[in-house]
Amino acid sequence: MIYSWKKIVLSGIPILTFTALLELIAGQILQGNSEILFMLPLFLISIPVVNSVGGNIGTILGARLASGLHVGTITYSFKDKIMHENLLTSLIIGIITFFVLAILIYFIGYFSDIQMGLRFPEYLTIIMTTGIVLVIMISFISITTAFISFKNGLDPDNMIAPVVTTFGDTLGIIILFLIIGAVGL
Amino acid sequence: MFAKEVVKQSLPLLIICGLGGIITGNFLGVMIELFKEIPGLLIVVPAVIALRGNINTTLGSRLGSAYHLGIIDAENMWNNELKQNILGSLILSFLISLIIGILAYISSIFLQIYPNPLVIISIVLLAGGLSGIILAFLTVIIIYVVFKQGYDPDNITGPALATFGDIITILCIFFSALLIGGFA
Repeated sequence: MIYSWKKIVLSGIPILTFTALLELIAGQILQGNSEILFMLPLFLISIPVVNSVGGNIGTILGARLASGLHVGTITYSFKDKIMHENLLTSLIIGIITFFVLAILIYFIGYFSDIQMGLRFPEYLTIIMTTGIVLVIMISFISITTAFISFKNGLDPDNMIAPVVTTFGDTLGIIILFLIIGAVGL
Repeated sequence: MFAKEVVKQSLPLLIICGLGGIITGNFLGVMIELFKEIPGLLIVVPAVIALRGNINTTLGSRLGSAYHLGIIDAENMWNNELKQNILGSLILSFLISLIIGILAYISSIFLQIYPNPLVIISIVLLAGGLSGIILAFLTVIIIYVVFKQGYDPDNITGPALATFGDIITILCIFFSALLIGGFA
């Protein structure tokens, strides 16, 4: 027998406790800003979307970088041209995805009976700015994780997804509230 | 061109995952009154959803490797290797849910929010355990279908579980909060 439940539980506890701690920080930020979320429920609806898209773009970029590093088409350097091309692609994908989803969320909200509280241009500006800042930061985390794990002999395929999704959730929520604050709603 | 290929291949999947996010978000929107009534409930939402995602994608990824190693296949699925994997995932679900509940309570005190510890910990345990059981079964079903079709499970289980997982988990949190909030 290869698998045993004891091994699965013991190897899971440290990493899952660590990610739970980071996610609780995200949760405390949500609770701290709950007045805004209750007043403008569109943002409450947007949070899983921002986190899901951010995390997915980061893991797709990370998976491509990991394969590139394994095969040798990407070199271990922040100046690598192919890496830059990958980064640019992530940004393009991020801009298109956030644009499409922001329109969808606003109009679903518009035709359901939730309290809107803000006009479409304001909402679009906040979501697009959050999305672009988040994709840039997540891409940076993804590249750094890929490089660091590769340099230390760890398989980047095992590291990128948990690191990127966990930091992505917390960062996404922090950036969203910073931008809402900057716009001054 | 390179960028065009990548955009074409990943954009549809990203938008589908985003649609899953909109469904999850709408359930959060429906729960606003519960968030107001049960202080601390909002704090545990990201942790429980992330826990679910982490435990089930690792389960799916292990079962994918087991398939490639020839340990399990469609004809010989319900064997001891699979049972150990599911048992491990379920025990982890209950254990880490308990840790999340306790840590959420302790961190709230520092921030001067005073949730009822019994309510918060039971909601997290019930939601974490329930979604763990449902998603373990869903993982097995997805893996079985993928085996039968002869696809590589590594390409399918991750995104499929991430999208269904979030929606099922938020429903389990909703149900647990209604049930336990109703008693308290």
